[in-house]
Amino acid sequence: MSSKVTIGSDIGQARRAVEQLRMEAGIDRMKVSKAAADLLQFCTEQAKSDPFLVGIPAAINPFKEKKPCAIL
Amino acid sequence: MAADGLHENETLASLKSEAESLKGKLEEERAKLHDVELHQVAERVEALGQFVMKTRRTLKGHGNKVLCMDWCKDKRRLVSSSQEHAVTMPCTWVMACAYAPSGCAIACGGLDNKCSVYPLTFDKNENMAAKKKSVAMHTNYLSACSFTNSDMQILTASGDGTCALWDVESGQLLQSFHGHGADVLCLDLAPSETGNTFVSGGCDKKAMVWDMRSGQCVQAFETHESDINSVRYYPSGDAFASGSDDATCRLYDLRADREVAIYSKESIIFGASSVDFSLSGRLLFAGYNDYTINVWDVLKGSRVSILFGHENRVSTLRVSPDGTAFCSGSWDHTLRVWA
Repeated sequence: MSSKVTIGSDIGQARRAVEQLRMEAGIDRMKVSKAAADLLQFCTEQAKSDPFLVGIPAAINPFKEKKPCAIL
Repeated sequence: MAADGLHENETLASLKSEAESLKGKLEEERAKLHDVELHQVAERVEALGQFVMKTRRTLKGHGNKVLCMDWCKDKRRLVSSSQEHAVTMPCTWVMACAYAPSGCAIACGGLDNKCSVYPLTFDKNENMAAKKKSVAMHTNYLSACSFTNSDMQILTASGDGTCALWDVESGQLLQSFHGHGADVLCLDLAPSETGNTFVSGGCDKKAMVWDMRSGQCVQAFETHESDINSVRYYPSGDAFASGSDDATCRLYDLRADREVAIYSKESIIFGASSVDFSLSGRLLFAGYNDYTINVWDVLKGSRVSILFGHENRVSTLRVSPDGTAFCSGSWDHTLRVWA
């Protein structure tokens, strides 16, 4: 491989890296305060349907029964 | 590829310095919006109560280290893979496995560099290995695989530094994802409502978010100090968590485009191998190489529970589809279901 081709592909890679960074630097962003508030809101809304937070009576939780598991 | 012509004033050095200055700009832009910490906003949320989580089932049957597991959507079945001395598998380490959405097939692969799909049959007379279909071919080990929303496409991650999307029926490569600088160790698909993206984590310490249609990386995060072993989307799709050999788990918000929480303690010095969220996203379950599972309050950043039971590294961890339990797999040859 001639050194010209090697340099060519290094330049190609460097160009792509610059283009990628330009794209990433230019995206729309939200303030952390707003993003965090949204995460909180989601958690709070979903909390009542989260079995780990609400707890299900042992009677209906299939993993709290005393049945064995089988390898299929 | 023919040698690119050099543009006026453009040299390798000038491109590299432009890249460096763009990285600086990226950090500046992110910092401008960093007006508060997640745990500060979370101060107004009620603290979680005491958790009583115990091993409800211990599944023995693997002859060796359990490396991966996945739940079936019927919530009652799971598939797991391990480092077996089996004659029927072409390689000894099956590092990745996944259940098809229909529950009718599983995909797995590892040191054979492939991802193969096995239709499931419970007929004891059928030879499952005979029906196997090779779908993906990488040039290094397969570290992770996942069906997309249907049984028709599979997304794979590999030690060759790439991820790829494949058509199951034809085995055709539909899209490849280049950008990681080293082995890709994990991937997770965005919840279907949020569109066609997925996140991957690798040995280059980067977590990258990809557009599945264009093959382009849309966001990248490099705050971990070591390999990222596991990535998992927050249930709303607006964030994702990662677990790393640097002994921390982190939360990245996609709309703020930055890391918003670190889950760590001075006493935790072993790598986190596997992470998953509870249904509401309030809890993060993480399995570690010190044999424990730590349960974190995602919003407040504190640990709510530490679970003991495994007798070797926890290598894989998944919450069940209905959120009632989670399963952990370990190098101690067992799987445990916790609730």
